[in-house]
Amino acid sequence: MNRTREMQVTCLAWLCVLCAAASSPGAEEPTSPPQEQLNFFESKIRPVLVEHCYECHAAGSKIVQGGLRVDHRDGLLKGGDSGAAIVPKQSEKSLLLSALRHEDLKMPPKRKLPDTVIKDFETWIAMGAPDPRTAHEPKSLRTMDLAEGRKHWAFQPVVDAAVPDVKDAAWPLDPLDRFVLARLDAKGLKPVADADRYTWLRRVSLDLTGLPPTPAEIEAFAKDDSPLAFATVVDRLLESRAFGERWARHWLDLTGYADMMGTSNNVYAEHAWRYRDYLIEAFHKDKPFDRFVREQIAGDLLAANSPQEKAENLTASGFLMVGDVEIVEPDKAKLEADHIDTQVAKIGTAFLGMTLHCARCHDHKFDPIALPDYYGIAGMLRSSPSTHKIPFGVWSLLNSTELPETPEQLTARQKLEADHAEKLAALKAERDRLREEKKTVESRLSLREGSPVRGTNGKEEAVPTEVIDPQADKAALTKRRDELDEQLKKLGPQIQHAEFFSSKVPKAFAMRDGPQPADMPIYIRGNPYAPGAVVPRGTMRVASWDKFPPIPAGQSGRLQLADWLADRGNPLTPRVAVNRLWQKLFGEGLVRSVDYFGTRGETPSHPELLDHLATRFMRNGWSQKQLIRSIVLSRTYRLSSTNDASAMKVDPDNRLLWRMNRMRLDAEALRDQLLAVSGELVPSNGGPGLVLEEVENCGGLVREGVNPPNYTHRKPRASEQFVRTIYLPVMRTNTATHDRLRSFFDFVNPAQIAGQRSQTVVPTQALFVMNNDLFRRRAKALADSFVFQPTGGPAKAESSAPDGGTTSQSTDNRLDQLWLRVFNRPITHSERTAASEFLAELDATITEQQPAEKETLKWLELCHGLLASNKFIFRF
Amino acid sequence: MLTDSSAVAGPASSPSSLAIDGQTVRRTGVTRRQMLQGAACGFGGLALVDIVHAATNPAATRVPHFSPKAKRVIFLFMAGGPSQHDLFQEKKFIADRHGQPIDSPLRKEVTQVGTEKFLALGAMAPIRPRGDSGMKISDLMPHLSSVADDICLLRGMNADNPQHASATNQFHTGVFTEVRPSMGAWISYGLGTENHNLPSFVSIHAPGVRTYGSGFLPAEHQGTPLTVPLNDKTLPIENLRNLSPTDAIQRQRIDLTKRLNQRLIDELHGDGNMEGMIQNMELAFRMQTTTPQLVDLSQETPATLELYGIGSGKASDKHGRACLLARKLSESGVRFVQVTMDGWDHHGDVRGNLPKLCQQTDQPVAGLLKDLKQRGLLDDTLVLWSGEFGRTPWSQDLSGTAPIDKHGREHQPESFCAWMAGGGVKGGLTYGETDHLGYSVIEGKVHIHDLHATMLHLLGIDHTRLTFNQVGRDFRLTDVHGSVVKEILA
Repeated sequence: MNRTREMQVTCLAWLCVLCAAASSPGAEEPTSPPQEQLNFFESKIRPVLVEHCYECHAAGSKIVQGGLRVDHRDGLLKGGDSGAAIVPKQSEKSLLLSALRHEDLKMPPKRKLPDTVIKDFETWIAMGAPDPRTAHEPKSLRTMDLAEGRKHWAFQPVVDAAVPDVKDAAWPLDPLDRFVLARLDAKGLKPVADADRYTWLRRVSLDLTGLPPTPAEIEAFAKDDSPLAFATVVDRLLESRAFGERWARHWLDLTGYADMMGTSNNVYAEHAWRYRDYLIEAFHKDKPFDRFVREQIAGDLLAANSPQEKAENLTASGFLMVGDVEIVEPDKAKLEADHIDTQVAKIGTAFLGMTLHCARCHDHKFDPIALPDYYGIAGMLRSSPSTHKIPFGVWSLLNSTELPETPEQLTARQKLEADHAEKLAALKAERDRLREEKKTVESRLSLREGSPVRGTNGKEEAVPTEVIDPQADKAALTKRRDELDEQLKKLGPQIQHAEFFSSKVPKAFAMRDGPQPADMPIYIRGNPYAPGAVVPRGTMRVASWDKFPPIPAGQSGRLQLADWLADRGNPLTPRVAVNRLWQKLFGEGLVRSVDYFGTRGETPSHPELLDHLATRFMRNGWSQKQLIRSIVLSRTYRLSSTNDASAMKVDPDNRLLWRMNRMRLDAEALRDQLLAVSGELVPSNGGPGLVLEEVENCGGLVREGVNPPNYTHRKPRASEQFVRTIYLPVMRTNTATHDRLRSFFDFVNPAQIAGQRSQTVVPTQALFVMNNDLFRRRAKALADSFVFQPTGGPAKAESSAPDGGTTSQSTDNRLDQLWLRVFNRPITHSERTAASEFLAELDATITEQQPAEKETLKWLELCHGLLASNKFIFRF
Repeated sequence: MLTDSSAVAGPASSPSSLAIDGQTVRRTGVTRRQMLQGAACGFGGLALVDIVHAATNPAATRVPHFSPKAKRVIFLFMAGGPSQHDLFQEKKFIADRHGQPIDSPLRKEVTQVGTEKFLALGAMAPIRPRGDSGMKISDLMPHLSSVADDICLLRGMNADNPQHASATNQFHTGVFTEVRPSMGAWISYGLGTENHNLPSFVSIHAPGVRTYGSGFLPAEHQGTPLTVPLNDKTLPIENLRNLSPTDAIQRQRIDLTKRLNQRLIDELHGDGNMEGMIQNMELAFRMQTTTPQLVDLSQETPATLELYGIGSGKASDKHGRACLLARKLSESGVRFVQVTMDGWDHHGDVRGNLPKLCQQTDQPVAGLLKDLKQRGLLDDTLVLWSGEFGRTPWSQDLSGTAPIDKHGREHQPESFCAWMAGGGVKGGLTYGETDHLGYSVIEGKVHIHDLHATMLHLLGIDHTRLTFNQVGRDFRLTDVHGSVVKEILA
């Protein structure tokens, strides 16, 4: 049976494929049928078809059910998902008749037609099914009203809106503030006051870098009363690599990234990290967004001036490769169609804010996107295959491409390979030596046991003649043999592993055009075994301002698609991009459905502002950093997140931005912040997250194995627990203990494409912050840094004037520092009291510890209590 | 600011944004009110109460679309794909040709490994008529055989994907690749919980996050994964162990955190998320003691333990404990309890391995049915037993050299067996038939979507009307498919 077909449709018993072997449709092409036969058709058949069948099986049908059209002759001959509906002159082979008789399939579904009508159909088929109707081209595609579709706001050109006037001209710091204030004015709302400087600094540091400010940075900013103080901070943050690390992770949520190819079998995606590192660099260097788009769609096709640039371009196209690819799927046609679908979905979601993938099986239900739009893009992707089946077994692999190297890189790599070869040779020599010794031991052993020894040539070998104490010697020999066995057992996998990974050639999962780029047919109901009309490669017409450019022969068309996506005339790309930036900085987008700008999505809260930002974005060379800089230096971004009762009544969701939204930190920022605060964070320059060089992490390293090679994260690198979260390997089967935090705090499942994370609050998170080792260890490191610093803190505090008066100078000092490090602002009087009381209470509770240990424990508990608090877990 | 917990605990608080017929609900937004509902679990002293847990208390009970036959579901998931050809159906055609080559029904694009010879593999043990109904069940499952008249055997099950991960996703969520809510989450979303102190969805020994995930549904509908600890090292729920030297110290630390949190909320003039965090911390603190009590079966009678096959050293101990816990949870009002029993993936030596799995699971499963029945719970509890797919009637031998009796079987989604019991299905009914091989369904096909539709129907939910709006589209558990299998309804 056809598994794919059943996936698509289960409501039809049309699946019997009874006719599969019948004569091929159209084989029996009649010359013009006699007039009386046509009359029979017109009087007896056509009216029935029109009345009872066209609703679901004609060009005008909302959905053409079962892929079958009965509104033209070829439609009936070709049939639907289950094959031909009629076979002229062969009633018994005509599914249509069987359906009318309500045998297997029942059509019309609700009521069987009168027997006389069914008899008419029998007669008609027996005469050869004369039928003058022809299909309109293109077949089975309904015409979409593009002009009507373009009326939707998101498909209209981006307009450089005039900056509105506002009453309070002193309030705006940036033109964008005027758009916000104008809306507030109109509603009679007043924005809340600015956040204090500490709050703003913590906010902007976490938003831009995912890390909190250090005590030194806090003090510098607190003291800087120049008008440029804010800009100085923002520029410092934007220039840091941490900015790239933070924003690359946001983008990864739109790619389905993981270090595993699919969900099955734990097949490692050993080159995926290069794409992640590419992203970090791209954000760090502020790669113009239009270029960023082009590289990810068609980097492999772009010209390059250097090996590095070429390597970068190739790696960028990994956007279309990473993702949940079910490479163990045995049906390769289905694998290809499904993978293309995830690629189309990704392009639609990430760049266009459109659910293009809805048009895989039928025209989009709500948006002006039709099957040809989907298959226009799908044709480009089908022209650039991204997986290949391995010659044995059932599985496939993602295509990888060798990356060009600079001469230095080449030399370094060859050195690596030479070293590796040496190591491998040493291992083999060791194995041979052990085998040799084992042979000797065994021969001596068998001699003791009195059985003849067979040599490699099968003949009995001469028995050595020495005489020793047989018993003692036997025990020693047995022991030695077991030792050798043990060593050989270990060596086998090591050699296998070294042989498997002997090449050190840098590779990336990169796209490339296939040998025969071509337009593809629509897959009826998404089924690759039911090809329909071939559609030209192209893109979403409703968002196009011109005809799609011709695709040169021999090319996939991805380059043209990339240009189209990154064109200043594209109404979606810039809007979707700036809205994503806004959402990361304010918690909600101006269009709250950040991944969906379609007709059923949300409309922008500030449409003119959205266009204003999009225009500035493009005007500034698609610089994301420029735009982010403007936004975070605006008044709107500077507002406090405190509630205001009257504004709350009018606008409880803060759609008008009368205050800043509060956000719970995402999993990455939470963990990174813990490491930063505890002083344990270790910088990283990226590289593989998987530890493939450890033998025990790898399985199935057999060149022609039944199952693909696989990976289990048994032995992580020592540094792993201290590097930023973006560098941790992402597994698809989420059982790895290194990754519990992410699964508890709304990490996007790597099979998902989603530009905005949920922010759930569930009790398992409370258990996590209370009891998980991650929090406990960071608290310990933080506490140790205070307790073991005789001066009371790692840095000299200026603002350490004791105002509690109940604790010692050293405790006060420590608390000052602790608050600055954990909450990024000075401790308040009441907080100092609370902390001091807590320490005193603990002092009474802890009875069994030695004084020194007691001191450590008290501070550990205090630190843990602070790290578990909402002041730390949220950003305001 | 909404802080009155009484305002959020009662049925009236069911947020209108979650209305069943698909009002728009924003994907990421968990409203303040939901948040509070999430947090406002009961404060009773029962052990069960406090497992209150991990996924929090989903909104109040909703009105079903029509009168339900079942109020709750226990899903026994046989991960790996049990062999229906050894357990529930024997084909004469195959039995007659045991060890002999047969014609492959596979389409040529589909590759399998180790099945190239296409040798028929007969059932490993007799499959005989049982009970008054004469339902056929293997000698390997004597306990299940004794309750044959209570179960409805579906022999025309049908799924779409032959890979474990994809098929498991489909079984739980209806789709293979996309991340969608699990059926337990849908049911929680549709019906809420019967018991405000309990989660509505618990998954014991869950096989991966996506099987209990809530997808785009609010997180409160996510299943709570639970492990039945067989030793002191295993925690029933992660992070349950206090790391401070004593509970008193931990309590003081939590109080400090609470004080800081409360002060912050005051400064900000209220915040629903943060209120939720405070309550959750209290809850989490109690869970440390109540959860181990919940999974502690030392107070159960010897008769109960015997019924489920619980006892140290017994092969059925682990699953027996899981099934007994499932009964306790279900009895207390958990809408959807899943128990996963894995190890059914017998690519090789099915004859050697299958009996072991049957020993581990048969008595617990049958014990559960008997226990539910004797407590009068079976009538409104729907029990479902299934793997993600079945196995082939032809043999598989990855080594290429093993004798036929050491062969296993490859995955087969085209047809397999599952059964339902209680909750409005016909006991003793055998429904569905496959072809002479036991490969294609020829009668009574029940696709996963149909199974989901039927399950929802029994719970009083019209599967076409249980929707959630996401990126502009109303999503369903059954996508655009599924029809209720009326023939099996009692």
